[in-house]
Amino acid sequence: MILSPSVPHSVGVSALPFSSAQPLPAARDRKRRPRRRGSAGPRPVVAGAALLAAGVGLGATTALTVTAETASQLSAAGGLATFAGNVTGMVGTYLALMMVLLVSRIPAIEQVLGQDGLLRWHRRLAPWPISLLVAHAVLITAGYAQAARTGPWHEAGTLVRSYPDMLTATVGLALMGLAGTVSVRAIRRRVRREVWWTIHLWMYLALAISFAHVIVLGPSFVGHRLTRVVWSAVWAATAGLVLTYRIGLPVLRSFRHRLRVAEVRPEGPGVVSVICQGRRLDRLPVSGGQFLFWRFLTRGLWWQAHPYTLSALPTAQHLRLTVKGVGDHSGALASLRPGTRVAIEGPYGVFTRHAQRRPRVLLIAAGIGVTSVRALLEDLPPGARPVVVLRATRREELVLGAEITELAARQHGKVYELIGGREHASIDAHWLRRTVRDLRHRDVYVCGPEGFVTEVVEVARRLGVPGETIHHEAYAL
Amino acid sequence: MKRAPLLLVLAGTVAGFVGVLGLHTRPAGLATPGPRAGAGKAGRTPAATPDAAPTGPAGPPAAGGGTVRSALGTQVQFGYGVLEVKVTVLGNRITDVSVPALQVIDPTSQQISEQVFPMLRSEVLAAQSGTIDGISGATYTSTSYAQSLQSALDKLHIK
Repeated sequence: MILSPSVPHSVGVSALPFSSAQPLPAARDRKRRPRRRGSAGPRPVVAGAALLAAGVGLGATTALTVTAETASQLSAAGGLATFAGNVTGMVGTYLALMMVLLVSRIPAIEQVLGQDGLLRWHRRLAPWPISLLVAHAVLITAGYAQAARTGPWHEAGTLVRSYPDMLTATVGLALMGLAGTVSVRAIRRRVRREVWWTIHLWMYLALAISFAHVIVLGPSFVGHRLTRVVWSAVWAATAGLVLTYRIGLPVLRSFRHRLRVAEVRPEGPGVVSVICQGRRLDRLPVSGGQFLFWRFLTRGLWWQAHPYTLSALPTAQHLRLTVKGVGDHSGALASLRPGTRVAIEGPYGVFTRHAQRRPRVLLIAAGIGVTSVRALLEDLPPGARPVVVLRATRREELVLGAEITELAARQHGKVYELIGGREHASIDAHWLRRTVRDLRHRDVYVCGPEGFVTEVVEVARRLGVPGETIHHEAYAL
Repeated sequence: MKRAPLLLVLAGTVAGFVGVLGLHTRPAGLATPGPRAGAGKAGRTPAATPDAAPTGPAGPPAAGGGTVRSALGTQVQFGYGVLEVKVTVLGNRITDVSVPALQVIDPTSQQISEQVFPMLRSEVLAAQSGTIDGISGATYTSTSYAQSLQSALDKLHIK
């Protein structure tokens, strides 16, 4: 097990900033530079208000549907099935809107709840709107069939053919079913990513074309102007948010910053840094440790946006991401041509100094997780006295080592490198307790592959570090 | 802190549900003619299974003298069409109700109306007022019928 405060590596000089051999801007100079925008930190109030509003909407929608039926309608033929169909339809649609909002990447929400948290909720919620809407179709058909005294298949045909907007709604439901089916883990693994993504995006289309039949046929809406207006407003707001934050803001940012690839620099085995040049980049409200969604506008890559952490705080003209080639997309970055245009979305991420609760920090990273640590180090408040632990199987895998050493030294911190196989050099409770004596005065930030993060978080917990002072970011494919 | 988001959503749901329920204490009854039923394309409730409704003759003639007057109610646009109710009174008694003008969008709605109007007519003649129960399964028709009828009665200054 090799333990040592690390020694700076020597690397070739490059004219661009972020070169390992070039010194980072001196601390003096940084203070004189105009204050960077952003880093104001997350505002829990906004996210809290949004969650509350979402709940209110759900309750109101359910109550609206329940009160739309009268007792006499319930006792009529098919009345019960129709009632159940209306309830499932309304609640299912509302939840579908929530699903869309969960992944609309609204910065104010994302900075409090975290992108991975939002994605997890998106996946967990998914079965509900789909099942409710399928149940809705079945129940309505059954109810109408009972009332009209015909068989369900005949009634289904009548519904689709002679009722306004029902054909599009049926197509919409089919698209939703398809998107849901393709996302089931077992099937998703066998489908190419482009295909899966395209089908998934059809969900927007499905929702758009299903809107009309609700307003025109739903008992809560026929004859009730107010509910029609409110429902339409909710839909318009959702569409507006999606258009703004998924399309509008990224396009605006791209025009404002005119980002292009300036240089692709190898940092280690399979690891490259992509340095992008643009303008007014210091205006991006980035906190160290955050990531952007990157869309490289070149063949094969333009249709996908992937999240990569910024491996340094932006300067006025440059952004840097450091990526390990593990998949199709990340592997392709090594062959990016300088001059390629780049569109970005973000910044997102809660793995920042704003999560810090205690006066000092312990930063633990493995593999390409060093990128988050490197960016965090640059953004730490004074007095953090960081202890940095870097874990790798071989020394060459520790990229950005010189920068990390220098940044840590500037903050009167220490860097430990654990290099070797897992049997010899792993972070266990013993080692951590011995090395970091003042663990109870430190927030613990862990970043790296999923297995590593889980292990280290467990170790920290066993050592008595409370949950809210452990922050982790796991890289998954 | 991890559970706080869920609690917020739950609290909101309860609040929204209770709030809307509270606002809805007075359902849009048939007895009170509500505001004009909204415009829009066809909306429909499933047809009721009609009981045998006798299209009876007009009510018993008024005892004592009285003039025969009739009036046409306002045109009411409801889910899937437009209707107008005409009421005939003798003195203070409603003797006949009819729907001279009915426009519906699809043939199914036409069928429903044809089944429902005689039933509504019987109800009005029996109740001798514009306050009727309506036909289950034909709520919109019944509401609009009552609305138009009431406006006709108002024109005649009856009840």
